[in-house]
Amino acid sequence: MSGPERLELPGGAIGFVESATAVPLVSIVLSFRSGGTSDPIGKDGLTRVTTRMLRRGCLGMTSQQIDEAVDALGAEFSMDVGGSTTSLHAQVIRRNLEPFCDLLARVLGSPTFDQEELGRLLRESTAELLEARDNDRALAGLAFRRKLFGAHPYGRSSAGRPSTLATLTRDDVVATYRRIFVREDVVLGFAGAISAAEARAIGAKLAGAIPEGKRVVVEVPDPPRPSGRHLRFVDKPERTQTQLLVGGLGTWPHDEDHQALATATAVLGGTFTSRLMREIRSKRGWSYGTGARLAIERKRHAFTMSAAPGAADCAPCIALELSMLEEFVKDGIDHEELAFIQNYLVRSHAFDVDTAPKRLGQALDIELFGLPADYHTGYVDQVRAVTRESANAAIQRRLSAKDVVIVVVGTAADTLEAVKAAVPDLASVEVVPFDAD
Amino acid sequence: MSEDANTPPAELVPRLNESAPTPEARWTYEGAIPFGDLTTTRAAELPQVHRFRLGNGLRLLLLVDRAAPVVSYFTWFRVGSRHEKPGKTGLAHLFEHLMFNETEGLKAGEFDRKLEESGAESNAATWFDWTYYYEALPKDRFGLAVELESERMARLVLREPQVVSEKEVVTNERRMRVEDDPEGIANEILYKTAFTQHPYHWPTIGWMEDIQAFTPSDCETFYATYYTPNNATVVVVGDVSEEDVLTRVRDGYGSIAASAVPEEDTQPEPPQLEARSVELKKPTASEKVLLGYHGPALGDADHAALSLLNEILFGGRASRMHRILVETRELCTDVRGWVSTFRDPGLYELNFTARPEVTTEAILAVVDAELARVREEVVTTAELERAKARLELGLLQSLETASGKAEQIGFYDTVLGDPAAAFRRLEAYRRVTAGELRTAARRYLIDARTLVRVIPDGGEEGDEDDDGDEGDDEVAA
Repeated sequence: MSGPERLELPGGAIGFVESATAVPLVSIVLSFRSGGTSDPIGKDGLTRVTTRMLRRGCLGMTSQQIDEAVDALGAEFSMDVGGSTTSLHAQVIRRNLEPFCDLLARVLGSPTFDQEELGRLLRESTAELLEARDNDRALAGLAFRRKLFGAHPYGRSSAGRPSTLATLTRDDVVATYRRIFVREDVVLGFAGAISAAEARAIGAKLAGAIPEGKRVVVEVPDPPRPSGRHLRFVDKPERTQTQLLVGGLGTWPHDEDHQALATATAVLGGTFTSRLMREIRSKRGWSYGTGARLAIERKRHAFTMSAAPGAADCAPCIALELSMLEEFVKDGIDHEELAFIQNYLVRSHAFDVDTAPKRLGQALDIELFGLPADYHTGYVDQVRAVTRESANAAIQRRLSAKDVVIVVVGTAADTLEAVKAAVPDLASVEVVPFDAD
Repeated sequence: MSEDANTPPAELVPRLNESAPTPEARWTYEGAIPFGDLTTTRAAELPQVHRFRLGNGLRLLLLVDRAAPVVSYFTWFRVGSRHEKPGKTGLAHLFEHLMFNETEGLKAGEFDRKLEESGAESNAATWFDWTYYYEALPKDRFGLAVELESERMARLVLREPQVVSEKEVVTNERRMRVEDDPEGIANEILYKTAFTQHPYHWPTIGWMEDIQAFTPSDCETFYATYYTPNNATVVVVGDVSEEDVLTRVRDGYGSIAASAVPEEDTQPEPPQLEARSVELKKPTASEKVLLGYHGPALGDADHAALSLLNEILFGGRASRMHRILVETRELCTDVRGWVSTFRDPGLYELNFTARPEVTTEAILAVVDAELARVREEVVTTAELERAKARLELGLLQSLETASGKAEQIGFYDTVLGDPAAAFRRLEAYRRVTAGELRTAARRYLIDARTLVRVIPDGGEEGDEDDDGDEGDDEVAA
């Protein structure tokens, strides 16, 4: 497959189209190169609120009228604000493509940012943050990011905090719209039952609806590496099960050993027969799921090992994970493991590109995250090129069992002391309530 | 592609049967079903799901789909938690785990290892009415799915170590999905309370004490009873040749003997004549309210009407409940509705997450007014058309991958006996009128409903009449 076609659109906007006629659906993505990390200090959540406000009123249409129009056209429309990107994802039944894109252009180009709607959205967003505290896995992820990255922008949450949402004003929202939603910064994507010619015409229309403006440059410094072992325990009552994250700083796609480290990490925890699965789930039955992963961002992001053991198994599970990480760093992977994981990664690549929206997503990733141009198209060759030596060198260079952040969501009265005893050389221990801001 | 790729299945089958070693390995061709929307496209122009049956009763549904160089392989067993007995709940789901373990021909871990080495994805699911296992493979690895699935259908090893280890994993899964999840526990209690006779009373994952008590003998009996070729349907969707699929499946399964699957012994649920309610306290930020109305079976003509009504009430941001409870009155952060898609009559579930400090009473006052409205007035034409468009979009979205198609085919064939029933439902949606929605509302949205209320710890006290059943901090009101 040749991959999505690139489109040069008016005003510096660019686009991609991947046509496929199997299902009469068209997927549309509009992405911008700024996200939550560019929120002003103390205004966490501003980009997300601004983006959500787009569908809450535009010239001549109320929030309700927009929602009804989307439904009537057999369409869906959602917003996704990450650390570094802001995206609008839409999907529409093919026969309604044109009127739906007219609606999108209107929503994107003439938001009203009604004060009353903003107040309503801020109250709704705050309630959602409180509600999210029911999700222990999400609590663990947030605590890990805050502890690992500290004051670095990656330590912030695009959703904001109740205290920061309380500070947001209509002026903040209007200013953010003007800063982020600019024509030269937009990357448009089309996939599915749409031709390149149609995509070019619709892309021009959508880009034309976005206010003119220069491409946004967001500078993010390199995140710091943790030093020593740090435990953050998120205390929540009545937990029969705990959520556990152990990790540190990982890699980014411009590291020369990026693919080597990603391949090795898959041996540790990227498949159902990985080392972590074998030891924690298959042999001991401690956790329903467990794994290891590397997050991809514009700078080096996190390496994490995860598990969800019962409260009684939490401490031994942490001890086991740390000893497995030590062994991973010390001895690396062997030839047999490498050959196995290369087969898995190369052959399963068919499922990374089996639909037009997935192929489009890869092209958008390259553009939005500044990935090497051949990051996806050269993936199979890059994985095949990994050697045992390069994998193990990458592990030793990038990972450490001595410098890690450990996050547990559990009931401190039941579990904390055992956890502390299971981790030698703890440099710091913090206990934070689950309902902290 | 095989040189015989264009041979019609009706001609292919007799030729393949000439080399069948036993009667169990002979195919019967049972016809083709158009897989698509018959209101917009002629049947002959639609893709066809071909239906075959092996001599031992194994059914095969095959849709050739060359959109990507992959193949999806589902095995649906007509066994779910409804086939269990009290005291042995969770057995069907435990098999979802045990089946990935050791077989006579594969050591522990080898099943997954072989799949992963081939770049395949695999998983499984169990619910009240069924269990399925699936593999998604690069197309040139199709034979591996047949090899592995036929192996574990007939030669699973169920000894103490395998059973003990998977029981531990399942108890952890239960902690994650039920004990430590306010919505999970509330949903479990909803069904436990709404159903008193029918097996939908107990959760598919099983009660904790039942899971912990399973023995290898329990597992062996269940396996011998339900994991037989005549209780299974294989669904294949992808870039394959029909002859290759028929040959490999015959060679893989043809030697497995059929066995007598016992007739189902299920008590129908008697009509619920009174309102039931349960309150429980959990460490949660806000109240959660679940309502359950006894609803139609998936195959009931009312199911389409109630599904459309649900879209109007709960489907998306323009729906009535979202608009009034989340936007206008600001009482909830989330509202959801779902008409259960079960073989027997299930529940119409309504789910509300309150904002902090908002009470169940405040939410119910609005909900009950809205439900009264749909019983009294017909919905607008615009609302009905929006609901139909949303359901059509949902169907199309489910068909984007080979696995999505295979799941739709297998699900509807297992529950309704029609692999293309997803499209028949779409056609049914188009015929439903506003008056039929009102009739459905009057039939199902009645006073005899079940209410489950989750109160934050430290919140309002519930009634003190403990019902003495399996629940934790659970109070019947």
